[in-house]
Amino acid sequence: MSDTNHLPTPRVSPDSAPFWAACKGGQLELPVCATCKKAHLPPGPVCPFCFSDTIEWKPASGRGEIASWVEYHMAFSNRFSDQVPYLVVLVELDEGPRLVSSIRDTASKDMRVGMRVEVGFEELKPGLIVPTFSPIEDNANGDLI
Amino acid sequence: MKIDAAIAGIGASKFGRGLPDSQMAMGTVAFKKALEDAGLCREDVDGISIHQGSPLGVDYDRVASALGLQLHYVNQSWLHGRFVTNSLQHAAMAVSCGMADVVACFTSVSFSRERAILAGEGDHEANREEGGSHGEAPLYGLESPGSGAAMAMQRYMATYGVTSADLAAVPISIRSHACQNPAAIMQNELTLEDHQSARIVIDPLRLYDFCLLSDAAVVVLVTSSDRARDLRQPPVRIAGLQGIQAGREEFVFAPPHLGIAQQTFAPTKTYDLANEAFEYAGATIKDVDAFYTYDAFSPLVLFSLERFGYCGRGEAAAFVQDGRIGPGGSLPVNTSGGLLSEAHVSGWNCIIEMVRQIRGQAGPRQLPRSEVLHWGTPWGDSAILTPM
Ligand SMILES: [Zn+2]
Repeated sequence: MSDTNHLPTPRVSPDSAPFWAACKGGQLELPVCATCKKAHLPPGPVCPFCFSDTIEWKPASGRGEIASWVEYHMAFSNRFSDQVPYLVVLVELDEGPRLVSSIRDTASKDMRVGMRVEVGFEELKPGLIVPTFSPIEDNANGDLI
Repeated sequence: MKIDAAIAGIGASKFGRGLPDSQMAMGTVAFKKALEDAGLCREDVDGISIHQGSPLGVDYDRVASALGLQLHYVNQSWLHGRFVTNSLQHAAMAVSCGMADVVACFTSVSFSRERAILAGEGDHEANREEGGSHGEAPLYGLESPGSGAAMAMQRYMATYGVTSADLAAVPISIRSHACQNPAAIMQNELTLEDHQSARIVIDPLRLYDFCLLSDAAVVVLVTSSDRARDLRQPPVRIAGLQGIQAGREEFVFAPPHLGIAQQTFAPTKTYDLANEAFEYAGATIKDVDAFYTYDAFSPLVLFSLERFGYCGRGEAAAFVQDGRIGPGGSLPVNTSGGLLSEAHVSGWNCIIEMVRQIRGQAGPRQLPRSEVLHWGTPWGDSAILTPM
């Protein structure tokens, strides 16, 4: 049996706390540089592009594309033993940064790099709300270059 | 480069899985063999460089007390295989600048007993707030070091039209090398059918794309060139070195610009090849007689070949076909069987194989020419070994 009670609690620092706080409110937010306007992940104390100290947390579009994905056919811990096979995705948000997440209602045969996805939220265990993604049809150019 | 260092002695324990010996016991066997090989005694060793600390490996203070060593130079890292070149580099730097006379690079690991630290509840590093050290995300079940290699390979396959059957050439070729090495754990030929019919572990990686989880020890003795010349074996010169590459374009298990982790994806751009180690060695990639790399997962061989310029971006899967990296190929890779088929000694099994090849002591595996051997990892560091 999988045992979600044994899922780790994310290690939250002052730099990443706004990300998790926004998830609790059902929002995906990103740290955005006030100077060069670029967003980055993982959250850090300065803009990694222009080194500016001024970071503003802003709501993200919540849309992006699959940069890559894997499917686990064996569980490496009992947390996921009754879920195999299961998918894990790397999403590139339209704002640029990438994050690891899950994907809902999708079979591996339908997975492709570049497919468009949109964020939702899932309560993994009481009080732990994390982003998850679902496929969407939209007009953005999601094709792999 | 102000490095003036050579490998003067090598030793190894038995390689196996589920071996009963402690890491300290295996390490002691390897250490005694290395001293015998070099013609040194333990009192000559005044420095130690440990790559894998406890609990997977051993710690410098316990090694010193258990073996009765008197040390005044210590370098140690704890968990990750990625610090293999670092460990050799620290030894070379220490003897070059006079901080030590003889440094033992001492690696002894028991993956059989300690595998629980690699994934799940035992992997405390996976929950690093920015993601685990190989990209792990345990909340989503992205667990084990293979996760990052699998994620990178899926994108590589989609980008360049590569298949699992193409990738199979890597473990098949490296297995062929292992079949010529009696010390290797895997001794039977691996076929394409074996590879393709084996179970999927983390799609797109199958069973034989993963290295062995083994128990083994290797000790490498590093000293100055002058001192090495007076010892028992022909010295092997540490001719060129370069460090780990880190930055926003870097991910431990993917070449720059694949578009993994936070890398950009720029298909028309070539890598800025970081090959300073060759400049120091006075050699070029064309001089390399065999290439050695950290083949913990078969995609890492493709990524390393591209990263150092043995082939172009997206070309490695084609490059490794038709036996090119196997025995007798134009660029043999990991001639003792690597982590995939010899043993996972965190790369040190490859380092001592390079030494044997340069000395002309590799038996049936002896390369026709072994003047310039290159150790280069997927994360961009390098060591060039040559005869003195
Ligand atoms: Zn900025």
